[in-house]
Amino acid sequence: MTRTARISLCSLAAGLLALGMTVTACRGGHGRAAEAAEHKVNIYIWTNYLPPDVLADFEKHTGIKATVDTYDSNETLLAKIQSGVADYDIIVPSDYTLKVMIPQGLVLELDRARLTGIDNLDPRLLNQKYDPGNRHSIPYLWGTTGIGYDKKKIKEPVDTWRVMFEQRYAGRILMLDDVRDAFGVALRLMGKSINETDPAVLRQAADMLKKQKALVKTYDSSDFANLLAAGDVDLAQGYSGEIAEAVAHAPNRLAYVVPKEGGTLWVDNLAVPKTARHLDAAYAFLQYVMQPEIAARIVNGVHYAGANKAAWDRIDPKIRSNPSIYPPPDVLARCELIEDLGETTQLLDQLWTEVKAQ
Amino acid sequence: MTRDPDGGLRIGSPWPRRLLVSHGVLVYLFLYLPVAVLVVFSFNAARQTAVWSGFTLDWYRRLLRDDGLLDAVRNSLEVAAVTTGVATVLGTLAALALGRSPAGFRGQRATQALLMLPVVIPEIVLGAALVTFFGVSRLRLSLATVIIAHVVFSISYVAIVVRARLAGLDPALEEAARDLGAGPFDTFRRVTLPLLLPGVVASALLVFTLSIDDYVITSFVAGVGATTLPLHIYSMLKVGVTPEVNAVSTLLLAVTIVLIVVAQRLLQEDRRTT
Repeated sequence: MTRTARISLCSLAAGLLALGMTVTACRGGHGRAAEAAEHKVNIYIWTNYLPPDVLADFEKHTGIKATVDTYDSNETLLAKIQSGVADYDIIVPSDYTLKVMIPQGLVLELDRARLTGIDNLDPRLLNQKYDPGNRHSIPYLWGTTGIGYDKKKIKEPVDTWRVMFEQRYAGRILMLDDVRDAFGVALRLMGKSINETDPAVLRQAADMLKKQKALVKTYDSSDFANLLAAGDVDLAQGYSGEIAEAVAHAPNRLAYVVPKEGGTLWVDNLAVPKTARHLDAAYAFLQYVMQPEIAARIVNGVHYAGANKAAWDRIDPKIRSNPSIYPPPDVLARCELIEDLGETTQLLDQLWTEVKAQ
Repeated sequence: MTRDPDGGLRIGSPWPRRLLVSHGVLVYLFLYLPVAVLVVFSFNAARQTAVWSGFTLDWYRRLLRDDGLLDAVRNSLEVAAVTTGVATVLGTLAALALGRSPAGFRGQRATQALLMLPVVIPEIVLGAALVTFFGVSRLRLSLATVIIAHVVFSISYVAIVVRARLAGLDPALEEAARDLGAGPFDTFRRVTLPLLLPGVVASALLVFTLSIDDYVITSFVAGVGATTLPLHIYSMLKVGVTPEVNAVSTLLLAVTIVLIVVAQRLLQEDRRTT
């Protein structure tokens, strides 16, 4: 081995080590300085849930340094918080996840006196069964489950879940890979609640889904909007936010509708983990986003429906009048939140396995 | 069949050779076509990944303005660099202990078996175990816990690769050095280490790659400000993957290729001169 080769190899290794150490050292120093001031808040949130300019203004306005990390599913969030050593001050669990977190004592009981601005929130989204009296959370953004479809390929007007059971669309249909959302469709078509617990009714719903399976191209809960946008399917059951994003990029081709039978309603909520260390900053953040003008900027930035009623007038009229983001009141009235079904969950899981395994 | 001048087998009919070549080409296409598609579509004007609608550098421009993505890239590079440094040193030392201690040591076999374990344990088990361990030791999740976790699974790979290289070394070379009056440290520095270096560098590259694309373990142990690139890309799925992801992958690919080419060059130089 030549001397130069040896030297370069050694310096490569040394360089890598040194690089790593300097970088960590810099960061370490940084972290300690900020920690001393205690002026920071660690936010764990869904992707695209907080416009960067709103965050920057929050930092400027309050002098609090915010660190934002993103997660991809409620399950990830739950696992992280259950570890007990995640250093987050603000989290955004969905309704059914909160229902799991509250009994486990994972989220802090909020101090009502410090939630100035809570009167701005939409009373229809407050005091839900997953958190009675909003003792642990406040609603942030919400949406629906409906049908995203390709207007060029589906010629008839789409306004009912029945279209997902039509023989002529065989092989072009996508259903969410989620037991509650799938059964929700069948139950709404039968005129029942998505939280139905009668075993006979659930078996009937399972039979419908088994018949439907021959028509379904795929069951997918994470990539449905992309599959629709790419033209792999023409009818996709999906969550409003993701499909709205796809529609926004191809408004002439794609559309989203909440069927007239109604569907699932979901609410993502702001909460504070029990392990949070920057409580003052966490409350400052909650107060900040509950201000009507800030809430409106968030909705305008992320294209999800917001839970702030006082913000309504400041929301972009194009978003306000977009039925895929804010469904008409009569349709919304037929949408329901998924509730914990207790012992029936087991039967439902078993029926869903039968459907999928067929 | 006769041997041709450069030592290969010559076969009467050209067909087997042609079949072999086309098979080879197909294998390489299978391996690299998806990567080529990824690179090409990072220049695609359309947002949807499946349809080509013109050339653009927009995604690269957007990438440079996307703080979240850049932070994730920075985190990933930082974790990979520190992990590579620490794991390569520790793993090489472990390999030396296992392969060069004169009479063996107590518990050598057990150490060896334990060292292999992180390679065979499913990642998800290791991730869950680590997060429980951090929980018990009240160590707050951060970038440091990610680095610790990566070092844990990387040491094994280094030890295995370096150990294999060590097994192929002629012990006579080291004995000769001792005979010629070199002390243990000089022998190590001037004979053993240079001979091991190709294995050490190869394992360092392996560790760098493993660290930079690890998702499962990282998703368990990442804490505040520790979103790495795989975590970030995965969370982007919720709003749909844009060609921005292709762009950042292309850049990473370019960096990786440069690193590998540099390492290859250095190693070739080494082979020519020894």
